[in-house]
This record gives sequence, structure tokens and C-alpha cells, in this order.
Amino acid sequence: MSEVLALAVSAVLLAGFYAAMAYGLGLIYGVLRVVNLAHGGLIMAAAYLTWVLFTRLHIDPYLAIPVVLVVFFAAGVGLYRGLVRLLPRGAEGGVQSLLLLFGVWLILRNLAYLLFSGNDQAVRTSYSTASVRILGNSFAVTRVVVFGVAVIAMLALHLLLRHTLLGKAIRAAGQNPRSCTLVGIDVDRIYALTFGIGVALAGLAGLLASTLFAFNPSYGAGELLRSFVVIVLGGLGSVVGIAAGALVLAFAEVFSIYLVPSYLTAAVGFVLLVVVLVARPAGLFGQRVLG
Amino acid sequence: MRARLVRSGPRIGWRLPAWAPARTLVLFVGALAVLYALPLVVPMGDYAHDLIGLTFMYMAAALAWNWLGGYVGQISFGHAAMFGVGGFVAARIALSTGLPFWAGWLAGGLTAGLYGLLWGHPTLRLRGPYFSIATIGVGEATRLVATYWDPFTGGSSGLSLPLGQGPTKFALYWYGLYLLAAVVALSWWLRRSRIGLGLLAIKEDVEAAADVGVNATLYQDLVLVLSATVIGVCGGFYAWYQAFIDPQDLFSFDRSIGFVLMGVVGGIGTILGPALGAIVFVVVQELLLASYAQFYLGIYGLLLVLIILFEPLGLSGLLLRLARRLGWRPAAGRAPAIAAGPASSASTTEPGPGGAT
Repeated sequence: MSEVLALAVSAVLLAGFYAAMAYGLGLIYGVLRVVNLAHGGLIMAAAYLTWVLFTRLHIDPYLAIPVVLVVFFAAGVGLYRGLVRLLPRGAEGGVQSLLLLFGVWLILRNLAYLLFSGNDQAVRTSYSTASVRILGNSFAVTRVVVFGVAVIAMLALHLLLRHTLLGKAIRAAGQNPRSCTLVGIDVDRIYALTFGIGVALAGLAGLLASTLFAFNPSYGAGELLRSFVVIVLGGLGSVVGIAAGALVLAFAEVFSIYLVPSYLTAAVGFVLLVVVLVARPAGLFGQRVLG
Repeated sequence: MRARLVRSGPRIGWRLPAWAPARTLVLFVGALAVLYALPLVVPMGDYAHDLIGLTFMYMAAALAWNWLGGYVGQISFGHAAMFGVGGFVAARIALSTGLPFWAGWLAGGLTAGLYGLLWGHPTLRLRGPYFSIATIGVGEATRLVATYWDPFTGGSSGLSLPLGQGPTKFALYWYGLYLLAAVVALSWWLRRSRIGLGLLAIKEDVEAAADVGVNATLYQDLVLVLSATVIGVCGGFYAWYQAFIDPQDLFSFDRSIGFVLMGVVGGIGTILGPALGAIVFVVVQELLLASYAQFYLGIYGLLLVLIILFEPLGLSGLLLRLARRLGWRPAAGRAPAIAAGPASSASTTEPGPGGAT
């Protein structure tokens, strides 16, 4: 029983991280109808940025959050203005923007390889090995902090989308860009901001990942897939939906150790993805938008 | 299908099918003969000889990827899964039975085809980005299973093939050529036949295609099985070429990316463009691996970005522009019909579309 409890807490903590990974991908898809295939690469890049800030400038990874957010927001706006804007969006542009952003991912991987070599890196702080007791079991402090940051990010995103004028404009642009133009919303600017926020959230996920896992330039393929699973499971109906999707994925992965050997738990998510995409191909994304 | 476009001229006992006009056939057979005789006439080193053989295989694989990625517009990021299945089935058959190597290729191809059908039938209902992401999932899941399935794939230590039982690297040149010839003919047929029109219709609009009686499920399944089978055979070829195979290599995500790049660089959706892309891919890989191995992913990424932004048909599009500049005009009527998607343009290496009917 205590084992099940330990696994459940572990799954909840993992779900926090998964939700943090998925916000960015979901926001960009929900508003621009573009699947950001560079998402995994951006997570990897943010992990390296955090690592550099920590090893060279000795900035604590969690205190570096504002720096990473600003840098990745700027990168996201640049990516939108320089590349994504030039392509058609939606169904007809789907494959083109997919391949374009895939190219961006390859470039990011190569840059990371050139700058940092292909070796595994990790951010090891003085408290990396510390643990806290939750419901009678020990968990790493970093996992708890990551969960907390993810929840705060979720609340912040919710407040931004639901209770600010900008959030209203973003949701409107996701619903009907043409009508937005009619009421005087600069849709292109909203798209740039949305892409920037989405990439900044990917950056946050990369920062959080760097404190939990080892990473190398190839890191990110699994993260992209998991993010996609989460938004497919949870839909784009709300930030809460993403949290729910993350919980389903995390519980499926953690509890799959009862059914499959441990090295296959990563495959569980991929199989879940295919099953969900096939079982509910239209309803999951549907016409709903984030908000 | 019944050949409807019958060329005028003296009636002989049989007719050329509409998808293979006489001029194209002559060119095809001529090119085949030249390539067949090339190593016998022109002295070339072992390195070049082997590399050309390997390039034939990659050309075939790129064309097969393009049937799904280009003709139907379903970009697969998971073709390494079938490449690996084909390679390991071929290797296992060589190791545990006395069957000739080509039986192993065939069995590997068929297994890969069935595997493709297994995951493809449900997922091909998805369009565009959803299908692509699902294929990443399929590829990664297959890689994980293969890497840890020691009894079959040898796990991280891989498998060595029984040298002496199969073709030498030298002989593989010609087997690669046969494979390529078969795949080129299939590519031509798939595009120019009635099925090809159906595939184009599916690419443009699945629902509209269904309205005019195109069975999208059947057509897409068929194309995926064909594509997967050929990729599987290519995996078998690669197993014999390398004589040692390792799941981390055959099933890797980078290998799947390679097929995508060959297709996009050569000209996605054109009949022969991806074969051109495969040549570029191999040449770039060999040149860069020699001196600048650390740049190759970035160069492909940059290439991908530039192609999508400026020339969605890749090298095929560039060649076509060049041809137009030099005064070649595609014959009206026929060329647009085989155009690749919305950015209309004909396929590259095709001499005067459809002949001068």
C-alpha cells in the first residue's frame, strides 16, 4: 500500500513537470495552429543556458528563471517574426511549418553540440541530493520545487489568459483572427507575443528539466512527444485540461512498471499517444481554444 | 487499369501502358544499362564502387518514403522503424536458416510491410502534423523495444552477419541497382496510374476525394505497405552491406530524419526528386564526415529552413526553374496534372512530359 502511495506522489510530482513542458506547445498550437516541432530543441537549449548560468556565473537554477524567461521570450518573438510568419498556418501550412521548425530543431542540436560537445551534463546544486518526506516517503527536494514552479506557472498562465486584456486578445486571436482585425486587434502582434510566451514556457520547462535530469544535445525528442501527448489528452480547453492530461500521462508511465519492464516505461507514453490520437482524433483538439 | 492514352502509330500486338511512354522507357533502360556496365568499363576504387552501391539503396529508400510523404502528403518521421525491422529480420534469417540472402530481404521487406500496416492503418486517418507526430511516437517506441530485445536484435551489442553466405560488398552494387530500378518503375507507375491520381486527390482534400469515390483508407494503406516493404528490403541490403548491425543505428531517430531530408532536399512529391536528394545526402555525409562531422545536422537543418522558405520543391524546383530559364516549356495540359500539390510544378528528371502527343 505504501508503495502505491509512493508511486502516486511520484506521479503527481512528475505530472507537474509534464504540464510545464506542455503549456508552451499547447498555447502556440491553440492560438496559431502551428505545431512547434522545435519545442524539444528549445527545452534542450534552455537546459544548457541554465547549466551555463550555474557553472560559469554561479546563479542558482531556480533564481535564473527570470533570465531564462526573458531570453526565450525574445527568441520566440524573433523566431516568429523571422520565420514562422512567412508560412501559411493551419491545415494547409501545417506540413511546411512542421518541416521548417524541424530544421530549427536540427540547427539548435548542432549548435549545442558545437558549443558543449555531446557529453551528458547536469546541474548539480548543493541541495540536489537533499530530500523531503511526503506521506511517509522521501522525495528529492528538486522534484518538489519543480512541481511548485509548475503550479505557479499554471496559475500565472491562467490569470494572464483569463483576467487580462492581453489574454482576452490572445484567446480572441485563437478563435477568429479576422474578427480581431475588425475590432482593432493587431493579430500579427498577438501572434508574435503568443509565440514568445510559448517559447518562454518551453524555456522554463528546460530550466526545470536541467535540475532533474542529465541532458545532451539530443535531449528533447521524448519531451516533445510527451508534451504532445499531454495536450492531446487534455485538450486545449483550458490550462486545467493540460494539468489533467499531464496527470494521466504521469500516472500511466509510473504505474506501468507493474506491467512492463522499467526500460519500456518511456514507450508507454508513445503508445498512449498513438492510441489517443487514433481513438479521439478530432474531438481532442476540436474547435476549442485555450482560456 | 486500362490504358486509355494509346499512342498513335503502327499497331503491334501489345500496347505500352499509359504511365510508361516510349521515350521514358528508352531513357530508363538506357540509364540502367549504363549503370550496369559502369564498374566493368570505368575503373574505380573499391571505396567509390561500394559507395555508389549504397547510394542506390538510399535512392530507393528515399523514393519509397516519398510515396507516402510526397504523393499522399503524410510526412513520416518514423521510417527507421521499418528499416530496422527489415534489417534485423534479414540478419536473423541469414543467421538461423540456410536460406539465400534474397529470401531474407524479401522476408524482411514483408515483415516491415506488415508492421507498417499494423501501426499505419489506425494512424493514417490522422492528417498533417498529427500523423507526423504519431510517427515519431511509433519510431521511438520501436527503437526502445528493439534496443532491449536482446534475443532478437542482440541488444546493444548488435548482430554480425555470416560473411560468405551472402553477397559481397562488390556484388551489392548490382543488387542495389536492381532494387533501385524496381523502385523507380514503381514510383513512375504509382504516380502516373489511376492510383496516383487518387493519391493526389487525397493529398489535396480527403473528404472531397472520398466524395468522388476514392477509397482513402485503402489507397493510403496500400501506399504505406508498399513504402514500408521497400524500406524493409533496403534495411536488409544495409545489413549485408555493413555486415554488422546495431539497433541503435538502424532504428535511430537520425535515420528517420535522413529519409525526410532526402525527400525534402530532392523535391517532395516529385517522381524522381528524392533520388536526387539521396545522392546529395550521401555525398554531403561522406564529405562532411571526413572533415566536418560536427556540422552535418546543422547544415541539414539550414538546408531544410531555406528550402521550405524559398523553394518548397527543393532541387527539383531549382532544376525546373533552370530548365524554364533555358527555354524549356512544359507541354500544356499534361504537366500540371502531375504537379506536386498546390505549388504547381512538374517532376524533374522527366523529359518532355508525356511525350509530344
